[in-house]
Amino acid sequence: MSLIEELSKDRRVVLYAVVVAVAIICIGFFGLKFGLDLEGGSYLQLQLQGAEAQIDVSPEKILEYQFNASSVEKHGQSYVVTVPGSVDSAFADDLGYIGSKIAKGGNSTKITIVAAPETIVINYLKKNLDADVQLNVAVVPVRYEIRTNVTRQSLDALLAPVGGKVPAGEDSFVAGVSKETVDETKKVLDSKLNRLGLQDIKVRVVDNKYILIDLAGMDVATAQEVVGKPGKFEIRIQTENNDSMHVLYGDAVESVDIPQGERNGGWGVPFVLSEEGALTFQKAAIDAGATKRPEDHYISMYLDKDEIFSAPLAPELASSLQKAPSRSMQATVGGGDAGSAKAKELYIHLREGALPVNVEVVGSGQVSAALGKQFKLQMVIAGLIALLAVAGMIFYRYRERRIVLPMVTTSLSEVVMMLGVWALAGWQLDLASLAGIIMVIGTGVDQLVIITDELMRGGEAAASAADRSIKERAADAAEKAGVGKIAATSSKVYLTRLSRAFLIIMGAAATTTVAMLPLLVMGFGSLTGFALIIILGVILGTFIARPAYGRIIGHILSTS
Amino acid sequence: MELEDIVSKYPPKQIMLIPIAIIILALISLGATYLATGSPVKLGIEFTGGTLVTVPSTESEEQVAGQFDAYPLVDIRNIGGRYMLQFGPMSDSQYADLVKLANSNFDGPEIRHIGPIYSKELQEQVVRYLPLSFLLMAIVVFLVFREPIVSLLVVVSALADILTAAASMNLTGVQLSLGTVAALLMLIGYSVDTDILLSMRVLKRKGLVEEKIIGAMGTGLTMAGTTICAVIALIIVSNFLYFIVPSFTRMDIIADMSAVLIFGLAADVFNTWVTNAQGLRWYLNKPKKAARGQKR
Repeated sequence: MSLIEELSKDRRVVLYAVVVAVAIICIGFFGLKFGLDLEGGSYLQLQLQGAEAQIDVSPEKILEYQFNASSVEKHGQSYVVTVPGSVDSAFADDLGYIGSKIAKGGNSTKITIVAAPETIVINYLKKNLDADVQLNVAVVPVRYEIRTNVTRQSLDALLAPVGGKVPAGEDSFVAGVSKETVDETKKVLDSKLNRLGLQDIKVRVVDNKYILIDLAGMDVATAQEVVGKPGKFEIRIQTENNDSMHVLYGDAVESVDIPQGERNGGWGVPFVLSEEGALTFQKAAIDAGATKRPEDHYISMYLDKDEIFSAPLAPELASSLQKAPSRSMQATVGGGDAGSAKAKELYIHLREGALPVNVEVVGSGQVSAALGKQFKLQMVIAGLIALLAVAGMIFYRYRERRIVLPMVTTSLSEVVMMLGVWALAGWQLDLASLAGIIMVIGTGVDQLVIITDELMRGGEAAASAADRSIKERAADAAEKAGVGKIAATSSKVYLTRLSRAFLIIMGAAATTTVAMLPLLVMGFGSLTGFALIIILGVILGTFIARPAYGRIIGHILSTS
Repeated sequence: MELEDIVSKYPPKQIMLIPIAIIILALISLGATYLATGSPVKLGIEFTGGTLVTVPSTESEEQVAGQFDAYPLVDIRNIGGRYMLQFGPMSDSQYADLVKLANSNFDGPEIRHIGPIYSKELQEQVVRYLPLSFLLMAIVVFLVFREPIVSLLVVVSALADILTAAASMNLTGVQLSLGTVAALLMLIGYSVDTDILLSMRVLKRKGLVEEKIIGAMGTGLTMAGTTICAVIALIIVSNFLYFIVPSFTRMDIIADMSAVLIFGLAADVFNTWVTNAQGLRWYLNKPKKAARGQKR
């Protein structure tokens, strides 16, 4: 007899009540997070520049061109380059062939370079583009990932002097960098911004090509400086006991390579020092006595005063430093999975000096906290006005509190459910999402109107009398509907009508959802919130709130 | 009610001339703008690139503009206690200086800077995704009804809504921004809701087509009414509230969005109950189909 009692047996109504309750708990427990445009702060939109390309070129030709050599021969793993006249020993180092042997003889010089053909191509590209180049061996044929702004034409022009080119075909040149590179860049930014102690930083990747950074409570000029400015990197060496002395700053580190697997008993991150830096390092190692007793002299690396690496000088390196400076080094962190993870972390830290990829700021902006607060207040007011106006509209139509109240309550509960999901997921509500919520209030009630009308009307059209005009009959039907006499009492008719109403609702929900789908990826993510909240509103409404409303209103109408 | 008379009294073919005329007018407006500017609607700053700075100030327009005369100022507008300044393209270093100037001279300026790469990509995205969205909607409509003519009428009504909304942007000077694109996509999905209701009622219920149309109209107009109410709430709060309460401010993205939505929704009322309804009347009352229309 009691309405509550009867409804509590219906699993749709129970599900609805549970979901709303859970949503309220979620909102209370996790709280709502607001987007940058409501909280104040600045944002940067960066485009990662780069491309992956296959390259047809002979390494011998490159060496011949780079060294201005008279001949280049390949002997097994190494290339022997013969250059007329004498050559400065640093020349090969400068071109990136570190550790090559130079033998002067008569009026020519022989340089022996131990390198894979791909390394030579990479060196050539790096040197000429002043950007990082990596080899992608995951595809066949292999592609070179060039981490700066290049086109097929610019690459061809660059390769023309060495007789090379990018082969024809779609697959041979792909704009954009690999997912790994994007993730790496994101990690570098995350780590850097977190270490600076900034709160509420959000680094997002869009379209595998853009990185969006939100920095709360900061103006856009500061934001650009923070993101652009490299961390302060320092290498120190242990002297006696616990004392240490400064060796180098980050400007002496020329390049950092991806972590290398188990070589010399552990994972390590190779890096290259500048010529001057190598000399300074050698001198410091000798002065500290590290070349004699390497195990007592730890080499430590600091990033903005935080220690990121500390290990004794490797014995082999110590003995070689005694004789000559070394530019190519490796920071070894240990073996196994732990070593691998540590190496990756260190690599990210070492890269914080500069991002792995060239980036271009494509958009930026700022909103003040006061303005954001204002927007928030105005949107809450808009929401209340919308809810009142919608309630007024349905009251005008039905003139019955017992229909208007459940309708408005259901609409409000849909908003609660949406906010619950947002709180649970930790998503941010921005201005566009709030507009989305208001649209869901306006459109969600539509579906409730469809259900109500479908249940209240039903058979009136069938009860047609031939002698009445269309207008009269329509007026009659409308009156019936308005008064709210439900013609159907048997649950079978009621269910048929409910399912008919849901056919309309499902169709309407499906069209709204699919039309919103493109917005999820469009506009660099700035409208994702709007699209997501509307899609979610439609789904929650269609599958949870409206089935329950159908039952509740059915009972209310039949008990009157 | 006027609409009811239209629905039942006049022959559908005659009434259909009105929506056809409106669609043609909309196309002329879009076409003329296209010939004049190279795009069917006026493009906002997100699509052209540039910088938008909004500063709170009690000074006069000239005084505020004067502080920025070293930069390519294109437009300045008073939006209730704040001035919105639009700048043309500038170099990165110029932009950095502008940001510093705005931050030092004003309290909490709002800044939006859109680079050429961003705006170009956005243009490409709209050209790609707006038709895709429409296509997806059309596919869903065909799947729901599985009747080519009925589905086509729904899709044509939706197309008329979008064209009218876009043309009304040209008439009222609303520019295409991310917000208005979102509104247009929302219209694509939403405007077919009442068409689906109408077509379902007419196909699945017994009785005369005209009677069923009028029956559906009660529900459909309430639906349109609630949505229009929500949009009007947005319009009031984003556009007009700052005239009454000086501490309030204009919200561009919401103002643009709601302007497009209100035109689209108004067009939807017309296109559902005239274009689509008359289309159904004509199709179902054709001599061959009359029997079927009665039976269903």
